[in-house]
Amino acid sequence: MGSYMVKRIGIAVPLLIMISFLTFVLINLSPLDPAVVVLQAQDIPEVTEELIAQTNEKLGFNQPFMIRYLHWAASCLQLDFGVSYVTGESVWLTIAPAFLNTLKLTLVSSVFIIVMSILLGVACAMREGKMMDKSVRGIAFFLTAIPSYWLASIMIWYFSVHLDLLPTSGMDSYRSYILPVIVLTISYAGIYFRTVRSSMLNQINEDYVLYGRASGLSEKKITMHILRNSLQVAISIFAMAIPIILGSTVVIENVFAWPGLGRLSVKAILSRDFPIIQAYVLIVAVAFVFFNTISDIINAAMNPKLRKDL
Amino acid sequence: MKKVNVFAWIGLFIFTIVVLAGCSSEKDEAANGEARAELSYASSKDINDMNPHLYAGSMPAQGMLYESLVENTQEGIKPLLAESWEIAEDGKSYTFHLREDVVFHDGEPFNAEAVKLNIEAVQHNAEKHAWIKLSTKIVSVNVKDEFTVELQLSEPYYPTLVELSMTRPYVFLSPKDFVNGETKDGVNGYNGTGPYKLAEHQTDEYAIFEANDSYWGGSPQIKKITSKVLPAGETTFLALQKGEINFVFTDDRGADSIDVEAMEQLVESNDYQLVRSEAMNTKMIVANSSRIDNPVSETAVREAIWYSIDRDTISKDIFNGTEAAANRLFSANVNYADVDLKVRDYDSETAKEVLEKAGWLLENGAAVRTKAGNKLALNLYYDTNSASQKIQAEFIQSSVKAIGMQMDIIGEESSSIANRRATGDYDLLFNQTWGLAYDPQSTIAAFTSESAYYHTTRGITQADELYKKIDEVMVSTDEETRKSIYADIMTIVHDEAVFIPITNGRVTVVAPKGLNDISFKQTQYELPFERMSFE
Repeated sequence: MGSYMVKRIGIAVPLLIMISFLTFVLINLSPLDPAVVVLQAQDIPEVTEELIAQTNEKLGFNQPFMIRYLHWAASCLQLDFGVSYVTGESVWLTIAPAFLNTLKLTLVSSVFIIVMSILLGVACAMREGKMMDKSVRGIAFFLTAIPSYWLASIMIWYFSVHLDLLPTSGMDSYRSYILPVIVLTISYAGIYFRTVRSSMLNQINEDYVLYGRASGLSEKKITMHILRNSLQVAISIFAMAIPIILGSTVVIENVFAWPGLGRLSVKAILSRDFPIIQAYVLIVAVAFVFFNTISDIINAAMNPKLRKDL
Repeated sequence: MKKVNVFAWIGLFIFTIVVLAGCSSEKDEAANGEARAELSYASSKDINDMNPHLYAGSMPAQGMLYESLVENTQEGIKPLLAESWEIAEDGKSYTFHLREDVVFHDGEPFNAEAVKLNIEAVQHNAEKHAWIKLSTKIVSVNVKDEFTVELQLSEPYYPTLVELSMTRPYVFLSPKDFVNGETKDGVNGYNGTGPYKLAEHQTDEYAIFEANDSYWGGSPQIKKITSKVLPAGETTFLALQKGEINFVFTDDRGADSIDVEAMEQLVESNDYQLVRSEAMNTKMIVANSSRIDNPVSETAVREAIWYSIDRDTISKDIFNGTEAAANRLFSANVNYADVDLKVRDYDSETAKEVLEKAGWLLENGAAVRTKAGNKLALNLYYDTNSASQKIQAEFIQSSVKAIGMQMDIIGEESSSIANRRATGDYDLLFNQTWGLAYDPQSTIAAFTSESAYYHTTRGITQADELYKKIDEVMVSTDEETRKSIYADIMTIVHDEAVFIPITNGRVTVVAPKGLNDISFKQTQYELPFERMSFE
C-alpha cells in the first residue's frame, strides 16, 4: 500500500508542472500588452507611452517568456503568486481567505450531498420500480433541471424576504450557510443519488447476495454488504465532487454574495487581473489532482486488486 | 416499511418549519425602526484600495474620507479646506489660506506642511496622473506660514481650481500614513479629513464608515454607513426588500444596480423613495474619424447616423423616461456650453438625403448602400455590463438599416471597450462624458489624449486647428476669450458629428422613506452623505 501511495503521488507531480505551464502560456497568449492591462486594471484615466515603458520595466514584462515562467513557477512553490494588478496586494493574501470561504461552503455542502445521495440512493434501490423510487427520481429530475440561480432567488425571496427567517446574502453566521447549502445539495444530490442507486442495483443481482440470503443472513446484513461494495464507485465520484463544486460555485456565490473563490475569479477575469486568474486556475487544478489522488488511494485501500495496476 | 417513515419524518419536519415560519412573518417593521441613523448601500465592487492618490478605490467611498482644498458646486468654486485664496496677476501662482480647525482622523493637524507633502507625493507619481493636466503644470508647493500655502505653476492654467476640487488625486491624507514619505507604493492607513472615517473593511464583503465626530463641519447626522458588496440585480433587490440594505445609487460607471422596474416596485411598497439628479453627463456614440477606408471617416455618414437615431423613443421606451434625449455633446447647463449649434433632430429622410449627396447610393433592390464598390457597413461596440447599451445598440441597428446602412453590433466587457478606444480599433462605440465637474475641460482635454478621444478627433479636417484651440483654451486667462474658444471647439466637433449624443445620464438614488436632504454633488461619482438626515 505504501509503495502504491508513493507511485500515485509521483504521477501527480509532472501533471502539476504541466498544468502550471499551460496556465502561464494561456494567460500570456492574450494579444494585449500586459503593461496596458495592468494600468487599465488600476483605472488609470490616461495611459501614456512613458507609463507603459515604466510599468514594463517595473514588472519585468521585458524579460523573455521562459525566464518569466520559471520565475513565476519558482515563486508559486513558495506560495508567492505575485501581486494583484488591481489592488497591488499579495495574490496569496487575497486568494487564501476567498479559498477558505469557498472550501467551507463546499465541505458543508458535500456532507449533505453525500448523506442525501446515499440515503436516497439506497432507499430507491431497495424499492426499485415502486411508487417511492419513481416519485423520488421524478422530483429529483425536476429539481436538478431548475437553474440554480433561479432556485436560489426563489428561496431567498421565500425564506428571507417573505418569511424573514434567514439572511438574504453574505456570510455573517451559520444561518448564512443554510440557503446556499440547500441549493447546492439539491443541484448535486439529485445527480449523485442516481449513481448510488444504480451501483446498488448492480450489486443486488450479484451472486454473493443470493448466497447470503441462502445461508440465512439477515436482510440488514446483506444490505450492508451491498452498500459497502457499491460505495466503491460512489467514493471516487464523491471525492471528485468536492473539486467540481469548489470550481463551480460561481453562480451560487454570486447570488448569495458569498465572498469566495468563484466571485473573486469572475472579478479578476472581468478586470483582467492576470496574477489572480493564474493563481485561481492553479489552485483549482491542484484541488482536482489532490482529490483525484485521494480517491484513488481510498479505492486502493478498499480494493487491493487496484493496487497492482500502477 | 422503516425507510418510508424516515422520509415521512423529514417531509413533516420541513413542512412544520415552513408553516411555523409562515406564522411569524407579519412583524418585520422593527428592523426598519432600529437602524434609523444608519445607511447601508449595495455596491457591486469592493471599496478596494482607499489610497486617495491612486485610482483603484471606489470614488463614493473616497469622497467620504477625503477632502480637497476647494469644492465644485453649482454656483462655482467654493471654499472647503481652504477658506480663501488669491490668484496672482500672471495666473501662475495660487495662494491658499487654510482652515485652522481641521485635523486628520488620526489627530494629526491639517496645515500647510500637510498640503505640501500631499501634493508633492502626487507629483512624484506624475505619470499616473497625466489625465489631469494640472499635474503637468505644478512647479512647486511653498509653505508661507502654518496655514498659508502657495502653488506655483509653469504657466497660467485656468481649470486649476476645478481640478483641485476633484475626488482624486489632489486630496489630503495624514502624512503619518505615508510610506517613506510617499504614497505611490501604498499607504499605512486611510486617515483623511472627511466627514467619515473608515472603521472596518472586510474585502469583498463590506466596509463600515463611522461619522467623524471631530469633523470641522460638525458631526454628520447619519452615524454609520455600510458599503456592502452585493451583485447587481436580484440579490440587491431582495436585500432592499428585506431591509438588509436600504440605499442604492448609480455607480461610477453609470450603471444602476437594479433596473427601473425594480425601483418603481420599491417605491410603490412605500418603504423607499426615488431621487434623481439633474443631467450629469451625456451618453453618446463615439465615431472613429481616423479610421481611413471605413465609411465612418466621412462626416456625411456620421451625420446620417445622428439623424437616424430616434432619441425620444430611446428615452421613453428604453429608459422609461429616466434619461432625457440629448442633442449635443454638452448640455446647455455645462459651463461654456451655451453655444448655438446646428440642430439635428431625428429625421430619417434627411439622413437618406445626406447619404445620397455624399454618393452613397442604393443599387436596385439592394438593402445596403454602396459607393465605389464599398459597402456602407460599420461596427458598433457596446459594454456587456450595461443592460441598456445592448438594447440601444439593437434599436440603432434597426434604425440605420432603414436608411440603407449595415451596422454590426458587438458586445464586449468594459476594459476591452476601453482598450479599443485607446488603440483606435473601432468604428463606433458607446461612451459617456465625464460629468459636470469634469465637463467641458477634462473631456475636451481628452480629445488630444491617445487613450481617450484622440482617434475620434484626429481624422477630421480641422484636427490641427482643434488641438491648437484646446491648448489655447487651457492657458487662456481672459474669460471672454475662453468662452469664444470653447464655442469654436464645440462647434467643430458638433459639425463633424464625431460625438453622437443619445441621452443625458443622471445619478439615481433609492433611499429609505424619511431620509431627508438627499442632494448631489457636481460629479456623478460621489454623494454628500454628511448632509443627509432622518426625519
